Amino acid sequence: MSTASASVRRSPFKKWCDQNTGLFFLIPWILGFLIFKFYPFASSLYYSFTDMNFFKGIREYGIMNYIDIFTEKETRTALLITFKYAFITVPLKLVFALFIAYILNFKIKFVNLFRTVYYIPSILGGSVAIAVLWRALFRDTGVINTLLSFFGIQGPDWLADRTWALFIICLLRVWQFGSAMVLFLAALKGVSVDLYEAATIDGASKTRQFFSITVPMITPVIFYNLVTQIAQAFQEFNGPYIITGGGPRNSTTLVALLVYNYAFKENEMGMACALAWVMFVIVMVLTVIAFSSQKHWVYYAD
Amino acid sequence: MKKAIALALAGVMSVGLLAGCGSSGSSSSGAASESATGETSATTASDSGSGSGDLSISWWGGDSRHTAYQNALAAFTEETGIQVSTHYGAWSGWEDQTSAALYSDNAEDVMQVNWNWLSQYSGDGSKFVDLNEYSDIIDLSQFPQSTLDACTVAGKLQALPVSMTGRIFYWNMNTFKQAGIEEVPSTLDDLYAAGEAFKTNLGDDYYPLALGEYDRMLLMTFYLESTYGKPWVEDNTLQYTVEEIATGIDFIQSLEDNHVIPSLQTMNAAGIDGNNSIDKSEQWINGMYAGIFEWDSSATKYQGSLADPSGFTVGNEIKFGDKANGGFSKVSMGLAITETCQDKEAAAKLINFLLNGDGASIMGSECGIPNSASGLAAAEAAGAVDELVLEANTKVMAFVDFQLDPTYESNDLKANPGGVYTDVFGGYSYGEYADSTEAATDLYDGVTEALEDAAKG
Amino acid sequence: MTPMKLETRHKIARFFQYFVLIVVGFVMIYPLLWMIGATFKSNAEIFTSIGFIPTNPTLDGYIAAVTQNYGGDINIWRAFLNTYSYVIPKVIFTVISSVIAAYGFSRFKFKGRDVLFSIMISTLFLPQVVLNVPQYLMYNTFGWINSPLYLPLWVPTLFATETYFVYQLVQFMRSIPHDLDEAASIDGCGPVKILYKIICPMLSPSLVACGLFQFMWSCNDFMGPLLYVTTPTKYPMSIFVKLSMDGDTGFNWNRILALSLISIIPQLIVFFAAQDAFIDGIAAGSVKG
Repeated sequence: MSTASASVRRSPFKKWCDQNTGLFFLIPWILGFLIFKFYPFASSLYYSFTDMNFFKGIREYGIMNYIDIFTEKETRTALLITFKYAFITVPLKLVFALFIAYILNFKIKFVNLFRTVYYIPSILGGSVAIAVLWRALFRDTGVINTLLSFFGIQGPDWLADRTWALFIICLLRVWQFGSAMVLFLAALKGVSVDLYEAATIDGASKTRQFFSITVPMITPVIFYNLVTQIAQAFQEFNGPYIITGGGPRNSTTLVALLVYNYAFKENEMGMACALAWVMFVIVMVLTVIAFSSQKHWVYYAD
Repeated sequence: MKKAIALALAGVMSVGLLAGCGSSGSSSSGAASESATGETSATTASDSGSGSGDLSISWWGGDSRHTAYQNALAAFTEETGIQVSTHYGAWSGWEDQTSAALYSDNAEDVMQVNWNWLSQYSGDGSKFVDLNEYSDIIDLSQFPQSTLDACTVAGKLQALPVSMTGRIFYWNMNTFKQAGIEEVPSTLDDLYAAGEAFKTNLGDDYYPLALGEYDRMLLMTFYLESTYGKPWVEDNTLQYTVEEIATGIDFIQSLEDNHVIPSLQTMNAAGIDGNNSIDKSEQWINGMYAGIFEWDSSATKYQGSLADPSGFTVGNEIKFGDKANGGFSKVSMGLAITETCQDKEAAAKLINFLLNGDGASIMGSECGIPNSASGLAAAEAAGAVDELVLEANTKVMAFVDFQLDPTYESNDLKANPGGVYTDVFGGYSYGEYADSTEAATDLYDGVTEALEDAAKG
Repeated sequence: MTPMKLETRHKIARFFQYFVLIVVGFVMIYPLLWMIGATFKSNAEIFTSIGFIPTNPTLDGYIAAVTQNYGGDINIWRAFLNTYSYVIPKVIFTVISSVIAAYGFSRFKFKGRDVLFSIMISTLFLPQVVLNVPQYLMYNTFGWINSPLYLPLWVPTLFATETYFVYQLVQFMRSIPHDLDEAASIDGCGPVKILYKIICPMLSPSLVACGLFQFMWSCNDFMGPLLYVTTPTKYPMSIFVKLSMDGDTGFNWNRILALSLISIIPQLIVFFAAQDAFIDGIAAGSVKG
């Protein structure tokens, strides 16, 4: 390290400075972390043990919020739905992304065009405009039902049916599989051709090659996508807020939306913080599980 | 040596970054730690920097109310030279925004407030100005003492009543005639008959009445008060037992079962939910839903959105039981001045203009029948009082015989989604409850909890 | 083994590959194409035809979108201006502060670095929802709510709070050989000079990619403005579109869709102008995991 090779005769302060140059560059980050991340994080935990209300302040301390979360229907439903949402969207997104990336990785003409088409939804999918579009597509007399009626199918009331409403919210996320796909594509390109050639000579079928060469070689990217997608899925807010408002009958009230409703609709900040913390712990546990499972299935070349 | 300079540079860079934010951070937190006035001066300074007016006002409503306000404000500017910037929107979601703005002291100078907000958001009187202090500008004598009392919370007259309002039926008689019914329904049996007639003569998609979750709660309250002859809540205590409430829920369900009202799933499918009121749905616009149970002060919005408004008719209140008429009227809304307002005298002038003065003749009955005597006279002289609104208001005031408790409208209860009313009536309509007793228990517990919460202050 | 010739099998495989790509691609892009078509349709036609081409093209939707206002003293142009007045600072500050933090993490050894690094990584998994309420209360104490300068929306980015970008840049920087900075150091360059003379130029594609992503995400951001902007004159596009949708009696869908489409046009332009930077940027960062 260049700093280590500095001359011997220096004042202790200078020496300290030399050894900690990197720290100077981290000062903004450290401050940012303390002010905008750690302080809110810690005070969120504090508020979660109070009945903090915008207009009434704190009147009571205790674990009542956590008791409510695990006993009340509203919060339990929201947690359950959020799990459903994550466990539907994350695998579907990854499977689609890998599948399309796999095909694109053959010597396909217009690969850039295809890549663009698949990627655009990821860029725009989070916007209000697309949420508005989704409403237009899935109205009772919307385009999708008009389309279905051409095939003689009477489409469901997408936005009024509890199962279908969640389905279309999931669909909005799965539709954005492009970003994961681009990652897979880059990883696939990195898999050495020699491996496939050797396998072909040994007479391994394409399917066999896919599962015994391709997948193992790109497990780091699968892992990365898995972890980031889980974290994102648990935070989804825009879709349900704009498309369904959480309805019908709370069937699309994901945790992030319920936290918002508690905090800014009902002014119950304490309850909102507690629910957010429950969600945080869940995400944390899932992440830790994913990380500790790494050594069993993720293959790092170096 | 070079290294030292570099280090210094790096330090300066980071310190520079910090200082940039440090200064803004410290100065603003300094402002925050000052008294409330210090903080508000910062806010308004920013407002005048960005805004386009000396005063700001916010209200909710439909398109016709927006137009009325805009015209009245233009007249105010012409008369006084005071510019007014506006903030308006539909009712859905309005309270969330407004409560957050009130909390963070960013609310507009003059606010159209719902009556229960006074106790809910300013129960200690900290958010709204005591209008008694501006009685030299606002002629308070034009208002009945009873409504002024209703707007007095924590010893302060926190808002001036715009109008009194209550719920009543409105019918789209064009559709009723298509269904073979010439007369407006006046009894419960008429409603059932209308449901039957709509179903057989017009088809499954036509309903004589459409009720959202909160509408159901209100109609049930009318029903219960009439049947049992006691107020819903008195002395901050719910007056009904679970069994009694269950009969009310059965009553609402009987309307659904008899094709009087669509199920909430059907209404959701039509795009009606917490974000989108009935007047925005094609089913209402085209007359497939032919009735509503609405505040007389907001009915013009429903009339205005009809493709063919010619059949829009004020119905009769329906007496469901024999113990009392049932139902209540309330202060529909008030105009209040927020404590953060910089020019409270100008704001008081604006309120006087809108309620007592020339503004009232432009506002007409857009916010209901004016509560102010001079406002009503001005509106009548200008021919700006909608006959439908007047008829409805007269009928409501003559009929209802109970008081309303402010907690009835608290956001914990009526929020959609999430409120207790929404969950009980939505859940029941979607078949989430085994029976009406279970739903009634939830409603009972929810209302009791909200009342306890209100009592805690 | 099938008796089919290898070449025939190959052709069939090819056919299926293109078939899948085209069918799935069409499904993916259909909503967007339909949306573009719908903005030129009359309200009566919008939901009765599923094709892209309007039978009687009309500009009514667009005219209504640019002339009708809703919610107060705000219109579409002002909303655009408002959006970019905080998105652009946000993008610039994010890139600068992230690069500085990444430099500190990736090029130096000092006591506690690994601890700080793992803290940084763990904030990647810290959901924003957990922070929302206290942040709101904190900004309120600062007097930042409804700040005319949108302070809550961009000030935090001065402090490298967008962990995702810090992490990405650390990955990139690690791939730059250390020999370069050592050579420069011997030539008398200090660490700051090394950062902007050597590291930044080599990183420029990734810096552009980070900027582009932050641009997209900030334009899409809805919850931030929803919480921190309360005056209509200050509404950004995302809020304006949402409110226009809520306020519209009877839903003039062609107007709402036209407004929505206009709102994402700048993002589309940026994307098409820089799509390689996007795709390379996203692909390059994570592979090392």
